[in-house]
Amino acid sequence: MVVHVAAQNQTVVAVDIGGTFTDAVLSTSSGLFTAKVLTTPADPAQGFMECVRRVLAAGNVHPGSVERVVHGTTLATNVILERRGAAIALITTDGYRSLLALGRHGRVEEERYDLWGSQPEPIVPLSHTFEVRGRMQANGDVLVAFDAIQAAEVADAIAALGVAGVAICFLNSYVDDRHELAMAEICRSRLGPRVSIVTSASVLPEMREFERLTTTVMSAYVGPVMSDYLRSLAESLAQTGVHAPIFVMESAGGVMPAALAASFPVHTIESGPAAGVIAAARFGGDCGADQIVAFDMGGTTAKAALVRGGRPDITHDFIVGGKGSFGGRRAGSGTPVKIPAIDLAEVGSGGGSIAWLDPAGAVRVGPRSAGASPGPACYGAGGVAPTVTDANLILGYMSSDSMAGGTMRLDVQAAIDAVTLTVARPLRVSLHDAAYAIHDIANADMAAAIHVVTVQRGIDPRRFTLVATGGAAAIHACRIAARFEMREVIVPPHAGVGSAVGLVRTDLLTERSRSALVPLADADPRHLQKLFDDLTAAAAEDLESDPRTMIVERTVAMRFVGQAHELEVAVPSGSFDARALQALEQTFLSDYRRVFGLDVRGAIELVSFRSQVRRSVGAPIRDDAPEGVDSPVALERAAWFPERGGLTPTKVARRGDLEIGRVVDGPFIIEAADSTTVVPPGWTATVHPSRSLLLRPADRHT
Amino acid sequence: MTGDAQNADALTGEVLRSALVAAAEEASIVVVRAAHSAFVVEGSDASAALLDRRGRLVSQSMATTLLHSASLRCSLPAVIESFPLSTMRDGDVYCMNDVYRGGIHANDILVFKPIFAAGVPQWFAATLIHILDLGGSAAAGVSALATDIYQEGLQLPPIRIGTIDGLDQQLLSIIAANSRLPDATVGDLRALIAGANVAARRMASLIDEYGEAGLADGIEGHLAHSERLMRIGLRAFPDGIYRATYGLDGDGIHPDRTYTVAVAVTIAGGRATVDFSGTDPQVAASINAGFSQTMSGALFALRCFLDPTIPMNEGCFAPVDFVIPSGSLLNVTPPFPGGGRFLAVFAAVEAIFQAMSQADPHHAIAASGILQPFALDGRGSNGAWIHAAYELGGMGARWGNDGLDAIGVHHGGGRNAIPQSEPLESRYPFVVERVELIADSGGAGTWRGGLGTRTTFLLLDDARLTMRCDRLERPPCGVQGGRDGRAGGYFRQLPDGTSLRLPSKSSGIAFAAGDRFVLETSGGGGLGPPGNRDESAIDIDIANGRVSPDGARADYGRS
Repeated sequence: MVVHVAAQNQTVVAVDIGGTFTDAVLSTSSGLFTAKVLTTPADPAQGFMECVRRVLAAGNVHPGSVERVVHGTTLATNVILERRGAAIALITTDGYRSLLALGRHGRVEEERYDLWGSQPEPIVPLSHTFEVRGRMQANGDVLVAFDAIQAAEVADAIAALGVAGVAICFLNSYVDDRHELAMAEICRSRLGPRVSIVTSASVLPEMREFERLTTTVMSAYVGPVMSDYLRSLAESLAQTGVHAPIFVMESAGGVMPAALAASFPVHTIESGPAAGVIAAARFGGDCGADQIVAFDMGGTTAKAALVRGGRPDITHDFIVGGKGSFGGRRAGSGTPVKIPAIDLAEVGSGGGSIAWLDPAGAVRVGPRSAGASPGPACYGAGGVAPTVTDANLILGYMSSDSMAGGTMRLDVQAAIDAVTLTVARPLRVSLHDAAYAIHDIANADMAAAIHVVTVQRGIDPRRFTLVATGGAAAIHACRIAARFEMREVIVPPHAGVGSAVGLVRTDLLTERSRSALVPLADADPRHLQKLFDDLTAAAAEDLESDPRTMIVERTVAMRFVGQAHELEVAVPSGSFDARALQALEQTFLSDYRRVFGLDVRGAIELVSFRSQVRRSVGAPIRDDAPEGVDSPVALERAAWFPERGGLTPTKVARRGDLEIGRVVDGPFIIEAADSTTVVPPGWTATVHPSRSLLLRPADRHT
Repeated sequence: MTGDAQNADALTGEVLRSALVAAAEEASIVVVRAAHSAFVVEGSDASAALLDRRGRLVSQSMATTLLHSASLRCSLPAVIESFPLSTMRDGDVYCMNDVYRGGIHANDILVFKPIFAAGVPQWFAATLIHILDLGGSAAAGVSALATDIYQEGLQLPPIRIGTIDGLDQQLLSIIAANSRLPDATVGDLRALIAGANVAARRMASLIDEYGEAGLADGIEGHLAHSERLMRIGLRAFPDGIYRATYGLDGDGIHPDRTYTVAVAVTIAGGRATVDFSGTDPQVAASINAGFSQTMSGALFALRCFLDPTIPMNEGCFAPVDFVIPSGSLLNVTPPFPGGGRFLAVFAAVEAIFQAMSQADPHHAIAASGILQPFALDGRGSNGAWIHAAYELGGMGARWGNDGLDAIGVHHGGGRNAIPQSEPLESRYPFVVERVELIADSGGAGTWRGGLGTRTTFLLLDDARLTMRCDRLERPPCGVQGGRDGRAGGYFRQLPDGTSLRLPSKSSGIAFAAGDRFVLETSGGGGLGPPGNRDESAIDIDIANGRVSPDGARADYGRS
């Protein structure tokens, strides 16, 4: 069955490296092929190449005929979290040497009571941090002249340290970066071409020195590692015979050429999760849904993001290693990196999350996870702690052969023992009551991620469709949807390798932004038009494309004078004139009312300006999975549904056996090699022509 | 609760517990995002809570200062006293700031919205933020030299600020007329109400989901769960009576007076009594605290020695008795001022830290520098401006670990509350020239105290300074042979470089354009004899500039 007639019959290989598995997808004119291997953390490229070889073999495709390689990677995140970036030095304005070391750490939640914690060492130690005289003011006046002599001394001191990179961040450089450029020039001449120099205004010309500093430092820190990695990947691919250009998934839901990813490595931080959201957007779109909650469930975390009008919601306040309960990333936790990123909420709850009793005897689930090793008790690899997966197995939602297409048998007795010992016996409740409590608490925890991106943003989730990716997501999806009264759930084909599939279907994307505080009343449309033209031209240049062939979207961050938080408002297309300004004001006021429920009037200011350009390269997918025949459902097993009084005889079908248009009524379980779908009582599932499963409460047939 | 109900709570109570906390959390996010005062938006000086009709705390937001934790629960009974439950109508909104009846000080406005079930108010959504100005003798609520409550700002007894028909415009106009920044003040009040509305809506949907009785049962289970965890933690602590005192510099008005806070913490059989008997009487100066502030500080200090993950609600208060003598520094009565509340409360927190440290010398902590607030204000060509903010002192050394640099140990705060320089410079007539760690400011010891900071403002226009602080004359003390931290201070530096030390409590000090305002925070005390410090730790400190070569000679005998 052809889902899309391929406009360009491109042969594309997409590889997503996750924490546990590396997934590859091969998209060709004759169909879609997948491969899955264990991630090789010591050298991720090894798993990458193995996966590429396997998927090419599966599709019987000659390496030389691959036209595009797309890669989703957590390299940048891991380098930052594990602190294995390049040795770098930092140069900042006289008086601000302590800026990074002091940090802006907010003690969040239980940390507030912690008198005993240690001080984190800054990524650039104070011993590698230097000050240079020269002070720009907020209005662009120079208060203190740049001290070129001191700058040269600093560059010489850095030369003696033998670092791979230098980050330069001066106060108010977002207004005027000439001191940073002068400093960079002096560094280049004294340190030579092998040391990479990153200036803050080139990375992020926006107000707020701390976020600009951390973004700059992280670019310098990750850059050399990223460019080495991508270079060696290209070499390995070439040795295999693949000479196609490499694209890297970036956090905002686009792909960028490898060279650009090496120059702006922080843009790849949310690479893998972003691809999963794109998959949800595209497959949801195939079913006609454009208001989507993308829900992804893995082994240790679950993530949620919104897709509206087919486009993922974007945030500009990303925090690497940010934490906070209920899926929030609290300001003051982790390291802020100001990149555009898909607005994902993440909770520490997944299939491997461990259930435990707290000292007061209440059942809790997570955030500790059994991970891939030892894994849930039922993996039989030495795990004894009960996990969400063990609960799902006991409840009959999974069977002993439903993992990885039956290649990995699950040990039901081990799951029963774990849940009995830790939960059921101490609380004197039945095994199934205990297992369902674990399942239910996990649902509530994972729902918190959806709560963050909908209710907390002032958005009513009831009108949205939930798209579930990840192997176990569709076991929980209908229950979670019901918590929000959402009335449609979509389980895409290949849901278990959703991120890799998303990579194939992602467009080229980049953006540029700049801060400039402009009172709305004083805004000069011609000036703003010029500002946007410059940003658009710079972004288009990144993609080496003619801006006229691209889709351009512009936004302005606006707020009432006196506020510190902004709302991002879309600029109408066309030239920027007085009417556009009026439209901006109207949109801002109505957005404000929607978000805060307050009808406020007051002076408005424009704070920052962005231009995003996109070029469509995302290949449509031709999915020639074998057409199902109207085969009788042969299997049946007992599964636990409280609304049916407990264990209920439940029909089970292989997903490939359900033909297009087939409707089944819950309770029903649909198994595929990479995912399992539970249709609870009161829900129906329909096989959509795009091969996605459409699940709805039974009172709404189509 | 029956055995079955308790089992049901043990099984899936976590789902409701999370929902209750999330409701408060969501309300505080709305308040912070909609607020106008930079104090709130930068420092997240905001809280939200759900309470029941008896004033018990059901759940509380989790990101904000812990000195708010008791105030909403202590104030609601005062609101109900003034407006009996039977007179409340759906849609009503109440507010107050009365420090004698559970409030904090004039600038902290507390908002309450009843949530109705079966026609009667069953629960309350409550929000609280520090608004930038509500009158008083000095800007931004820093009336450091107030001798009575009337000089600290507009007093709001419990009032009905709004009904289902909207806000009371007369009351709003009184409040606006008493603020130096009327628009921001009214904007913040609206933000508070928006937050309370959100929490009330979430609570209404929980009533739908669980039913009234189910929700009430679930909430009892939630409170009982925290109480059980508290008792387990207290039982694990060695029974005994632990006593300590901590001193204050003075009151800013009577030059030769000093003050002491005394505490006796009794731990016995899973309960604690925190008794402040022996604390000095209140004084006609702005260093006294209202009782709810003392209770917040005391519970926070106690919890630092227990499981930090216990959900904050009434169950945390249940096994703790507080004895806070009325008319003392820690329980102010009319008409004594209460705006300098954190000065007395931080001494109380420190005294509890020192008392609890005695139970186990390996869990000891030296004294820390405190939050050091100031307000600069002026009248430029674009109208009046106020910049109110604070910096933080170094944390005391802990057994086995150096103190953290410049962090708010006494209120669970962190550095994300310190405004950044660029946004300030884009808005105010000054340049923040330097924000730096002060070398050698951490008290020497086997484990070194955390460092204080020096912030230098170059004024581009005339301005006035108001401030109040403590531990600048009696710096944070070292313990077990560790040395005291270096005392911070407030300074006026003239263009010729002359530096004038300013009092630690004062208001309206004139600065001219070209002057510099220098704010130094105190370093934390050291722990253990400096001679026992690891040599490599001294080397690292020198390389990072936390200790100067001269300091290493003087404090650690380095040649």
